[in-house]
Amino acid sequence: MAHILDQKIRSFKLKIPEFKKMSKTDSDRSWEVLEDAISQILTLNVKYLSFEQIYRTVYSMVLYRCGEVVYRGFVNMMARHLQRIATTLEAVPGSLFLEELNRRWTSYIQSLQIIEDIFFHVDRTYFRPVAKTSTFLMGMNFWKQHLITTPEVRGRLLPALLDLVLRERMGEEKVQGLMSKIIKMLEDLGLYVYDDIFEKPLLDATAAVYRFQSKMAPHELGDCAEYLSMAERTLSEEIKRERVAMCVESRSGPKVTAAVTTEMICNYMLKLVDMVMPDLVLMLVGDKYDDLARTYAFFQFVPGGVAIVCTAMYTHLRATGKYLVADPERLENHVNFVQRLIDQQDKYDKVIRLSVKNDITFQNALSAAMETFVNSSKWAAESISLYMDDKLRKAADLKQVNTTDVEILDKVMMLIPYLHDKDVLKKNYRTNLAKRLLSGGAVSHKMESILISKLKAEFGYPYTSKLERMLTDMETSDDIMEGFTSNLLSGHDSVKESNFSVSVLTSASWPTQPMQICNLPSEILSLQHEFETHYYSAHSGRRLTWLPNIRSAELKANFGFGKEHELHVSTYQTCILMLFNTKDCLTYEEIQQTTGIRCHDLTRELHSLACVKGKNVLRKEPISKDIGKADVFMFNDGFSSKLYKIKIWNVGAQKLMETKRKYTRERVQFDRRPQIEAAIVRVMKSRQILDHKNLVTQVTEHLKSSFVANPPEIKKGIEALIGKEFLERDKDETQSYRYVA
Amino acid sequence: MRKEDTVKLISAEGFEFIIDRKAALVSNTLKNMLTSSGSFTETELGEVRFPEISTPILEKVCQYFYWSLQFASGKETEFHIEPEITLELMMAANYLHT
Repeated sequence: MAHILDQKIRSFKLKIPEFKKMSKTDSDRSWEVLEDAISQILTLNVKYLSFEQIYRTVYSMVLYRCGEVVYRGFVNMMARHLQRIATTLEAVPGSLFLEELNRRWTSYIQSLQIIEDIFFHVDRTYFRPVAKTSTFLMGMNFWKQHLITTPEVRGRLLPALLDLVLRERMGEEKVQGLMSKIIKMLEDLGLYVYDDIFEKPLLDATAAVYRFQSKMAPHELGDCAEYLSMAERTLSEEIKRERVAMCVESRSGPKVTAAVTTEMICNYMLKLVDMVMPDLVLMLVGDKYDDLARTYAFFQFVPGGVAIVCTAMYTHLRATGKYLVADPERLENHVNFVQRLIDQQDKYDKVIRLSVKNDITFQNALSAAMETFVNSSKWAAESISLYMDDKLRKAADLKQVNTTDVEILDKVMMLIPYLHDKDVLKKNYRTNLAKRLLSGGAVSHKMESILISKLKAEFGYPYTSKLERMLTDMETSDDIMEGFTSNLLSGHDSVKESNFSVSVLTSASWPTQPMQICNLPSEILSLQHEFETHYYSAHSGRRLTWLPNIRSAELKANFGFGKEHELHVSTYQTCILMLFNTKDCLTYEEIQQTTGIRCHDLTRELHSLACVKGKNVLRKEPISKDIGKADVFMFNDGFSSKLYKIKIWNVGAQKLMETKRKYTRERVQFDRRPQIEAAIVRVMKSRQILDHKNLVTQVTEHLKSSFVANPPEIKKGIEALIGKEFLERDKDETQSYRYVA
Repeated sequence: MRKEDTVKLISAEGFEFIIDRKAALVSNTLKNMLTSSGSFTETELGEVRFPEISTPILEKVCQYFYWSLQFASGKETEFHIEPEITLELMMAANYLHT
């Protein structure tokens, strides 16, 4: 309303009566009234007071310029009142001190509110503009000034409060309420009060308590894990305490928590670190993920703590790796080796996920450690491919795709990125796949295709397209065979009887096989011709090359004493054995000439036919372990065995593996050279001029997906290219190279 | 009109104006008075005396209270004040902090 009136007045000129001034006596009398009223209020005895009267008194005093009287009078009055309270408080015995203080405080607050209401006008017009304060602030200041900061009161307040905290820590329930009220009072009085008076001593006391505890603890507990779990428990208790008891605006909370952690962990760090190392190992070995999580959480508080935990873990991992690799026996068993790799990877994955909350430093350290670990064995790539081979063979026996098997394959896939010699793995896998498909054993197409799709993700389409074609080749061969057998002329019933089957392979997709000659026995030759006719009639413009060194046959052999056995033999062995249909005795030379098999292979086959115990369907003279060029072979009439079906085919296969591996490795090394050179050319073409160091880095980058190139090799490549005049040394700087178009 | 919802304002001459509590709360002074935590006589009885405010002024003040409630709800109307009472009205307004 005032603003409306204000407008009106401006438009009128009014006669304003004489401004009254209040006389001294009047103001003194008014003040007495006020004083009386305030003292009543301070004792909370306001029933018979009239607000309006008091308010009017204050109002008129201010209006008549006597505000200062009010102010000074108020200040003095409050001082006197509070001093009276202080003296009463001192008289109070120790245990009731805080309660009494609390009571007085609550009543003081109440009366202050009432005074505020009365002083509303004077507050607005006098206190704030002139005295630069407000009633409320004044009230707080008075309390602080006369009560809290007086040495007597303060001297008693502090120990009493700390005593309360101690008791509460020990588990007394009832003190919580009182404690929170007192603390709230200190807070309301202003930040400095709380901080100065209470917080600092509280933090000191807390620190002292926990310092003591942490000193005592290890002697009792002895185990890092236990100590940490105790620390965790204490910490959570303290936090709960803060929230409940102190109802602190969470200003103190983190400070106290920090104090606890400082005491229990940081100041104790060195000792803990010594304790941590062996205990961490225990935790890792025992899969104690909770303990690990706790360790991680606590060491986060310590600067550099996490790094210590991390290094500890990975030293352990590397040590385990070294131990594994140093054991040569273990190394031989490839499946075992890879299994252990996978287990370690699994375990650390879990650790990272559960205990360390996927901390990046840990993940990076794990990758680095795994890399050293995986590549610690020279034959790592071979082992992995053999492992996969083993798993796939086993899976082929099952009719359905087992999900656990798929998971295992996933895990193996995870190891592959760590490998340095990925191209070795690729080559080995292809050879193994070929062997699997052609061995005539069961093959689970589904599993194979699943693995191939995984490999596609890792190595890219060009590599896996060949593998896929290998699989489809097998299926196409089945179709062709069906067509063949159904289209046969009726005169060849023997064909159907003999169960002849051919697998047609596209030469580009399958690993290259050296050309072998073998003079097949006449029975097989006629079948071969038939098949060729059939195939060429269906697909003109294609050429078939026969590879006799791969497949197998099952022969029924009649031995002496009417014994009949079924022999599972390779094609070569079939040729050799069928020779004995016509002749009883043959020399090595004769066999070689008739069959046309290479000496190397022939020796091997004869060895498995004649020299292996329990499978010697041929007798040899002279009887010895090795095959010599002058040996004579005879059909072993007296051959006997408990089994009806005898597998002679893959006896020599084991020996092959070792040599094959070395051979594959050498081939890979050989293959790498052109790859390195191609990479160098690619890099130089885009950069034109590059210095040696950068070139090496770039080339390594390019080749990273296949294998880890080593600098000497690259240097050799560069030299070769300079010789071929693809590159030249820069005339100005000796270390740089220039691309020659 | 129930007893709890109303307040009685008594002028210097003893005239009693009974108004809504909501209207009375327009004045900050009255608001403090009526909602004070202390148990003054005013809060007990629900009536306030103004020995220095005369009846026509107090009447105008009450009208103002109702007008301002209307104004707050959005309907704009003019509050008419006679020029003769302006000064005293202003002093009362200052006192009541309106």
